[in-house]
Amino acid sequence: MTRKPVGRRTLGAVALGGAAVLLPGLARRAAAATPDEIKRRGQISVGVLTDYPPFGGIDENQKPAGYDVDVAGLLAKALGVELQLVPVTGPNRIPFLLTNKVDMLIATFGITEERSKQVLFSNPYSAFTTYILAPRSTNIRGPEDLKGVRVGVARASTQDSALMAVAPREVRVMRFDDDATTTQSIISGQVQAIGASSTVLAQLTANYPNLQIEPKFTLRAQANGMAFRKQDEALRDWSNSFIASLVQSGELDRIHQRWFKAPMDPLPPMPQF
Amino acid sequence: MRSLGLNEILFILAAARWTLLLSACAFVGGSVGGILIALMRSGRIKALRWFAFGYIKLFQGTPLLMQLVLAFFVPGIFGIDVNPWGAAALGLSLHASAFLGEIWRGSIEVVPRGQWESSAALGLRYWSQMRLVVLPQAFRIAIPPTVGFLVQLIKGTSLASIIGFVELTRAAQVINNATFHPFTIFGIVGLTYFALCWPLSAYSKRMERKLALASR
Repeated sequence: MTRKPVGRRTLGAVALGGAAVLLPGLARRAAAATPDEIKRRGQISVGVLTDYPPFGGIDENQKPAGYDVDVAGLLAKALGVELQLVPVTGPNRIPFLLTNKVDMLIATFGITEERSKQVLFSNPYSAFTTYILAPRSTNIRGPEDLKGVRVGVARASTQDSALMAVAPREVRVMRFDDDATTTQSIISGQVQAIGASSTVLAQLTANYPNLQIEPKFTLRAQANGMAFRKQDEALRDWSNSFIASLVQSGELDRIHQRWFKAPMDPLPPMPQF
Repeated sequence: MRSLGLNEILFILAAARWTLLLSACAFVGGSVGGILIALMRSGRIKALRWFAFGYIKLFQGTPLLMQLVLAFFVPGIFGIDVNPWGAAALGLSLHASAFLGEIWRGSIEVVPRGQWESSAALGLRYWSQMRLVVLPQAFRIAIPPTVGFLVQLIKGTSLASIIGFVELTRAAQVINNATFHPFTIFGIVGLTYFALCWPLSAYSKRMERKLALASR
């Protein structure tokens, strides 16, 4: 019974991964999306997540809402254009961008070396830390303790690649579609640990206090950037100064307060590869 | 964090209309394609027979998930903008054409040879033979497997969630990521699919019984 969905997920991963690899070479050289061109057409389409609250979730009217959506709103306002939000998922966001279905992504997209081969990143505009989470009783102190341990992660996520980078070969990784199903896997005991952010930890602590989930070690401090197609350097440059102005005016901190009920830590510097 | 309230459950249930609409679209599209494939496959022109054979093998031999992903992302490469809805309807229609084509080819070929021969003896040409003699008989034979495939198709629409089309399954995923109540949410989703598919299965069973009686 459980094999079939996993098979589908794997297929989906292969299909989307294949698309992501093939697309840059094939993609039509569309007229670059520049700030001027966007102003002329009076509209910008931005890919956001809807299944990753509070960064990108939905409000009570089931419309996209969250930290990313607020940033996108201000960005459209600064450009003086209408905002069109396009819901994307973690695994399909690169194909959406590269096949011109969106102008840019504001989708809690961690800046990594691999991804920067395919897309152009802005400077970080949000950040979070991912951990290996497990019940207090589980004895995990560092990556080497993961030998033979079943660890759940959301596929195509940065915690997935970060885990693969540090974990010993004997780790048994189970990849799920998103954070909710990853979380479910530790609740129902299919995995002994998961890789996830502090947001997930807060949800687990609130909903399932009896599991006594705690962070075991840090996987990765993740800096998130907006993402653009390779040729859209002008839009990237414009967005960088837009992010700087948000930080300067304290607007970004207010968005952070609204969604995380806490002031924002200083943004990490742009990762260099 | 959100709690799972009536609003969220209604959102999921309302998304079932997209599941139904998508199934209907795919079934209509698949019927048109399926009848063409069935006629080509059972016809007398060799090239068309081979084309239909290749088409059926291609779509039956690749996963629906791949077909949907390709239908969504490949047109974009050539600068044709398809939305998730169009891509899902197209992908599922092509998929349904292959399966319905094969089902209906079988139904056409089951009609006894003698029916063709005697209608030919009456001076009927191919199209009249098909329309007046063969298809009416094939139609009855085809109903149970066709309805059975329709049930598969309804469940297959859940794969459209991979390209971001918000139908029943995708709506549930989104709500689940906001509320973290997977058992309740996917339980409701499972029951909804069941409520859609079970009447169809029951209808197909009944037709099968009726047919068995009629041909005894």
